[in-house]
Amino acid sequence: MSWAGLFGAPAFAEIAKRQQKHCILLWLCGGPSQFETWDPKPGTSTGGPFKSIPTKIPGTHFSELMPKCASIADKLAIVRSMKTTAKEHTEGINLLQRGHQPRPPFTRPTLGSVLSQQLGQLDSKIPNFILLDPCPEGNEFKGFKAGNWAGWLGAQYSPVRVGGEFQIPNADRLDSITEDDHEAREALRRFFSKKYENERKSSAASSWNATFERVNGLMSCSHLFDLERIPQADRDRYGPGAFGQHALLARTLVEEGAPFVMVANGMPWDTHVFNHEIYQMVVPDLDNIIFQLTKDLEDRGLLEDTLVVAMGEFGRTPWINQARGRDHYPNAWSLAMAGGGIKGGAIVGATDRYGAEVIEDPFNEENLFATIFTALGIDPHREFHIPGMPTFHHVENQAKPISQILS
Amino acid sequence: MNSPSLKKGKEIILPSHVLDLTLGPDDYLYAACLDGGIYETSLHGETKENAYQELARHENYASGVNWSASQNTLVSASYDGDLKWIDLKEKKAIRSIQAHRFWSWQSRISPDGTCIASTTGQYLCGGYKYEPAPETEPSVKVFEIASGKLLYSLSHTPPVQSVAFSHDGKLLAAGNLMGEVILWDLSQGGKEIARINTPDFTGWGIIKGHYYTGGVYALHFSPDDQSLYLAGMGTTRDPAAGNGKQLWQKYTWQEGVKKDSAASDGEIGEGLMETLAFHPGGEFFVMAGRLFKGQWNAALFDHQSGSKVHEQNVGFRISSSVFTPDGKSLILAGGVNQDNPAEEKKWGRIIIYDVLG
Repeated sequence: MSWAGLFGAPAFAEIAKRQQKHCILLWLCGGPSQFETWDPKPGTSTGGPFKSIPTKIPGTHFSELMPKCASIADKLAIVRSMKTTAKEHTEGINLLQRGHQPRPPFTRPTLGSVLSQQLGQLDSKIPNFILLDPCPEGNEFKGFKAGNWAGWLGAQYSPVRVGGEFQIPNADRLDSITEDDHEAREALRRFFSKKYENERKSSAASSWNATFERVNGLMSCSHLFDLERIPQADRDRYGPGAFGQHALLARTLVEEGAPFVMVANGMPWDTHVFNHEIYQMVVPDLDNIIFQLTKDLEDRGLLEDTLVVAMGEFGRTPWINQARGRDHYPNAWSLAMAGGGIKGGAIVGATDRYGAEVIEDPFNEENLFATIFTALGIDPHREFHIPGMPTFHHVENQAKPISQILS
Repeated sequence: MNSPSLKKGKEIILPSHVLDLTLGPDDYLYAACLDGGIYETSLHGETKENAYQELARHENYASGVNWSASQNTLVSASYDGDLKWIDLKEKKAIRSIQAHRFWSWQSRISPDGTCIASTTGQYLCGGYKYEPAPETEPSVKVFEIASGKLLYSLSHTPPVQSVAFSHDGKLLAAGNLMGEVILWDLSQGGKEIARINTPDFTGWGIIKGHYYTGGVYALHFSPDDQSLYLAGMGTTRDPAAGNGKQLWQKYTWQEGVKKDSAASDGEIGEGLMETLAFHPGGEFFVMAGRLFKGQWNAALFDHQSGSKVHEQNVGFRISSSVFTPDGKSLILAGGVNQDNPAEEKKWGRIIIYDVLG
């Protein structure tokens, strides 16, 4: 078979195509309010103090806190009818990160882990799953971060966590060791490690080796995580806040070939207190970040192959509590997507006058994951082939993708 | 005098949460509510549903309502950035001006009733740790009541959430999210005379998100104008919990800014305090707001000693407090939980307490 023939074969073509895809997840942990973002209800008792503004899509309005996204609404897809069940953070984060209810004792891999397996290459120098999270804390999210991201896929599909206090230290080769010496040592380590792994049939050794490979890779690409190397003009455009700066870093990492980058910043969207007082700041910040990211990816010819998802684990209550806040609300909430595989300008689903109930096209986490996989060229219903495990699928229950937003 | 105490009296129900309240002529009460409405009700009479009348409506939350006896005018303020002049005889707005491009957070009328101060400012990200960005419009403005003319535009760091006139009307103080209070001398053309900086009212989200919350929510000059009271919520590691201390602090500035006294840890619980008011006798003041943890959300404090002399769990969040001129009544206003909007529940509340002792 010729080289052309080799890559013309469907399986190889599919793999090659997938490996050009990227995904950036803007993880709005805490649960962003749909009212102050994508599904405003001005003039109602639940609408809050922010008005709505028209967007580039006739008849569609966003919160007045999102003028930049309103100007590129034709590039975004908005789902206003997410209806899920998890009411608390740990439950919600797991549901929206893994795409399915828990089934102990099995731990389903997170979206990032699955995509790093599907889109990435094991011998890649740049990590296949990068978590940029400058806030080291985050209550329930902190607990989640310390847990098992990769599930049954194994530790090699866990994220490399960078950002804020999490820098990559000691990544430079010591001056006292030559390049040749370094490679020789690494070859010896790899030989003995593989020998041990094969002879003992040790999954722990396998994960350890995978981790070592990643560290080795990081040594060669640690400079890519340095915000200071990015032109100041770019840094200024993304705004001074930590979330914006790390969203910009995500863009540069995707440019360098990273298949999946998740950007978080702790849990700032959990506004049980001072909802409007906090959202007057965090939403304009998000508005600018989505705008800059979308435009930059487009300008660099990367938007067609890069899926951008902005979502949290649920929405927030229509009613205001005693502390000027909105509480957790999975019954009716919104999210946004842009880029690869997504139809720009698609506004899907609807809620009632108060934003209390979904009245059109309800979708859950399975529909969402099926959409993401489909947009990235991955069969959402493909089985995981793992010895000794029950049959699991990327998305269970043959859940359908949200076809209205797929291009 | 004996220690004062409170006895619950009449309760008035309004359509939505009351952000501000003022006492007008003939014991009429005027409330600024979250639904944008400015409502008239009375201190007296039977408690019943719909015992109120709408006078005017803003396009956003009504955040302030102020009665000028000398000008015989009611002036309201709103998150729509507007001030409205309301004729009580005609029961309608007769003048409206755009005071700010963003919310009017708080407004207060001068003691002689000739001018009104209003504060504004959007909290926007200005740094890596989400420090507030500088203002894009003057954060504090003072208007003449008679003409609506702008008298002063004063600079501050947004958002500026509280404002107060001294009793002689010469000084104006305004406090912001970052615990910065500026004092201006209006008799010297708005010259800045002091700047109080306290980190004690501002939370930075260590545990959850990285941003600032809280700030100075209420300001009040002491009866002799020699000190300034600040109120709000103490610092908190988790901005989503609302579990900072129920806090007031008292400052002097004449010989350099100095913290004179503060709420005692053993006498306070947790929750945001939104309002301060002095009893006409000048011996004690009320601080009220939300109860997160503890025993009370409205308490009376002795002005001299700073000790708590009475506490009250009102049962819902308080945003505004007013004593009647004779000192016999304390009026607290706020609201219960909003709950599901489909139930169309009226959730604004005014409670009138008899002041005993």
